[in-house]
Amino acid sequence: MDPQNTDVIQGTLDMLILKTLSLEPLHGFGIARRIEQVSRGVFKVNPGSLLTAFQRLERAGLLDSEWRQTENARRAKFYTLTRAGRKQLELETADWARRVSAVTRLLKAEG
Amino acid sequence: MSLWRQLVRGLAALTNRTGSDQEIDDEVRHYYEETVAAHLARGLSQNEAKRAARIEMGNPTVVAEQVRDYGWESLVATSLSDLRYSARVLRRTPVFTMVVILVVSLGSGAVATVFSALNALVLRPIAGIRDADRLITLSPIRSDGLFLQQGSFADYSFLRSRSQTLSDLAAWGKVSLTIAGAGEGTIVWGNMVSANYFDALHVRPQLGRFFSPDEDRTPLAQPVIVVSHAFWSTRLGRDPGVVGQAILVNGHPFTLIGIAPRDFHGIYTGVRADAWVPLMMQPLLRPRADLATSSWLWMFGRLKDQIPIESAQAELPALMATHARERGEPKGPVGFRSMRVFHFTGLPGGEGVVVVRFLGVLLAAAALVLLIAGVNVAAMLTARSIGRARELAMRAALGAGRIRLARQVLTESLLLFLCGAVGGWILSLLATNALEHVSLPANLPILLELSPDVRVLIFAICSALAVGVVFGLVPAVRAARLDITAQLRDGAADGRWRPSLVNRMLIVGQLSLSLLLLVSAGLFTRSLARGQQIDPGFQMAGVVTTSFETESWGYNQTRAQAFYAALRSRIQSMPSVVDVSYVSRLPLTGGSTTEEIQIDGATIGVQIAAVDAGYFSTLRMPIVQGRAFLRLDDDRSERVAIVNESLARRLASDRNVIGRTFRFLGKPTTIVGIVGDAKYATLGETTPLFAYFPIAQKWQPTQSLLVRTNGDAEWIGPAIEHVVLSLDPAVPRPHVASMKEATAIVLLPQRVAALVTGVLGVVGLTLAAVGLYGMMAYSVQRRSREMGIRFALGAQRSTVVGMVVREGLTLAVLAIVIGVSLAAAAAQAIQGFLFNVSPLDSATFATMSLVFLSIASVASYLPARRAAIADPIAALRAQ
Repeated sequence: MDPQNTDVIQGTLDMLILKTLSLEPLHGFGIARRIEQVSRGVFKVNPGSLLTAFQRLERAGLLDSEWRQTENARRAKFYTLTRAGRKQLELETADWARRVSAVTRLLKAEG
Repeated sequence: MSLWRQLVRGLAALTNRTGSDQEIDDEVRHYYEETVAAHLARGLSQNEAKRAARIEMGNPTVVAEQVRDYGWESLVATSLSDLRYSARVLRRTPVFTMVVILVVSLGSGAVATVFSALNALVLRPIAGIRDADRLITLSPIRSDGLFLQQGSFADYSFLRSRSQTLSDLAAWGKVSLTIAGAGEGTIVWGNMVSANYFDALHVRPQLGRFFSPDEDRTPLAQPVIVVSHAFWSTRLGRDPGVVGQAILVNGHPFTLIGIAPRDFHGIYTGVRADAWVPLMMQPLLRPRADLATSSWLWMFGRLKDQIPIESAQAELPALMATHARERGEPKGPVGFRSMRVFHFTGLPGGEGVVVVRFLGVLLAAAALVLLIAGVNVAAMLTARSIGRARELAMRAALGAGRIRLARQVLTESLLLFLCGAVGGWILSLLATNALEHVSLPANLPILLELSPDVRVLIFAICSALAVGVVFGLVPAVRAARLDITAQLRDGAADGRWRPSLVNRMLIVGQLSLSLLLLVSAGLFTRSLARGQQIDPGFQMAGVVTTSFETESWGYNQTRAQAFYAALRSRIQSMPSVVDVSYVSRLPLTGGSTTEEIQIDGATIGVQIAAVDAGYFSTLRMPIVQGRAFLRLDDDRSERVAIVNESLARRLASDRNVIGRTFRFLGKPTTIVGIVGDAKYATLGETTPLFAYFPIAQKWQPTQSLLVRTNGDAEWIGPAIEHVVLSLDPAVPRPHVASMKEATAIVLLPQRVAALVTGVLGVVGLTLAAVGLYGMMAYSVQRRSREMGIRFALGAQRSTVVGMVVREGLTLAVLAIVIGVSLAAAAAQAIQGFLFNVSPLDSATFATMSLVFLSIASVASYLPARRAAIADPIAALRAQ
């Protein structure tokens, strides 16, 4: 297995999905591809986890979904961020930034 | 909000399972197609692209499964599929399934039936009243510590005027009423009530009105009456016009002012009241009782809003004590000094406590049967799960998780217990229906509606499921711990199969429980037998009896005395009549009257009865000293009394008691005789201090006639009825019974307990014996190969039979040790219900252990014999 290609960090998948959808509505494969591309192949998304996450986020009212035609004429389930989802994304982004800076500080202090 | 969405989406997914499955499949397929397309775009061939896509995302079906597992509805869905699978499995073995359901039904039915009685007598709110949870019952406590259920009108008035915690305090007393409308007179059980009785119960009239406060003030001012819906329907032809009209009550005109609602029958469980009159009519309807001082009123109250029952429990006893102090009399043992406050039930005060305790014992016995049934089923399921080990191993090999397998097995058990609970509920419907038609030896309009309601069904299901979970876990855990490879390897499981430790423990457990039941049943039966042998101090055989309530006929004292005298002389002249007498209260009917006598400056509380001349010879009670009462002991002669031996001993151990004088009700009374000790209220009582007075000197309008005949006298009942009706055709037809029948109620608890525990004991023993038999038979069947080898090597049949029987009996003996210890502990709890039987009665314990051991021997011998007569060659070949 490609050592550069790791699974998404535990607990961040929801945030990554929300972030990706904040740009435009997308279907499942599109979201997975987008995450892999933007992370330059560092993160690889497991389809089972991704599709289960959609169920969860939709239940929580953070996403809406709708079946539409894709540009290559397939029917796909497109997800859209709801207002609650947008708010959740802001919260999680802020929280993440806080954690990252804390971890970074710790690592620097050790070095 | 989010929870709501969870629920709605889940339900939507659940109701449209195929739709939502389809959607997930579509989404996964789209993902797969896009992945393939991406690989194609990178220049791979069609086949290579598909392969790469599968490697990248895994099996699409598994992905879809994973997504589908999300959400609570998937749990429900798998449970449903477990349930469907269980139903299929159980249908495949209909005999096994029916036997298990029957076993559970028996246990569950026993529990549900006893619970129905508890429910009907205690738990279920009394029909027709509202907001019963805010009602309380008051029970005065006498200075001698005895606590009664009734108080006097003075007590009631005092408490009612002083209480701060109650919004209403009501009182009622019982009274027999003969009501004559248009047609003939009917005798009904009536209640004399305070005017706020219906208001306190929150009962509204069906028609007309209930009592107003001014009907509570002046004695005799307002003769008004309310009747039940049933009386109105059957006796008054449901005519709305009767409200406001006059009807005759005990011969006096009363105005009918209202009809009670259909479901209201008074507030005494099991007895149907049909008429209500104001307390103020008491001097007319019950002239003998003194409204102010006699204690004949039951009291109940409604708590003010926001006031907890504890406040009333603190306030009312204190008020009662104040009342006793302020009144200053009576100083003797009979005055009230305190009060207990209970939650309101149809069994006032202490009666409820006794009934709950009694039914608690029976419920425990029934619960044992359910437990035995549970153990039995667990053993059957475990035995079967060994037979099914291969199926389970196969499913595990095909990828079913261990938890999932255990869940499946547990689902099966629960399904069985659920069916059993429903079966039990149906059995309890049949049993209670039969019980309701048992006639009780009581002179009351009995209204016993045991009808198991939803509460009983819920209780039956919950208790059965609780037992099902506990005992279903045994085979379930076994299924989860299955060794797959060993099972799938051919034939490895057989050969030297013996009942597992768990199985043997289960069997010993159920055998011990059934022995516990048997011993309790034995104790109750013996107690009943002893009770029937107890010498009450008089002879009942050959005596018939009936009661008359002349007050309710509207008779005054002169007329009643003339009636009683005429009846006596007419009966005395009949052939084969030996003795005729009257008594104020028939002995052994559960009640007693206590009064005080003053002698040598001391006050003694004694039980009393007023009896006619000839009473002692009618009942064959020995006059130890002095004389019996004579016809001459009437109102004009000197006041006399006869005391029992206990009272005589108490009065003077050294001096002669005959001729001594005490004061009774303020009048000097001379003791003219001593009569042998006898039971009075109950058979279990310690002999009371007892004084008899001539009924002619202490007038009682209600009397029981006692007639002793020699030899067979079937005709005497109808003859007495005929004489009574010829004396006055207007009086209700009397019911003549033998004294044995009339006093049968005194042993009712023992009779019921012996019957119920006896039935439960037999059911329990049968279940346990079947369990033992089943296990031994199964063991023998599994070991047929071993048996075959043994025979082939020359073992004697008797040796093999002995080996199997010994195995069964070892378990039985172990069960006897445990069961006897359990029974010894349990017997202490039922001691209060036993008569003259030690809770450790060795005869009962020994007999029941022997019965038990012989049944266990049969249950182990039968399968052993089957093994012995089996053809060893066939047994070896079959494997």
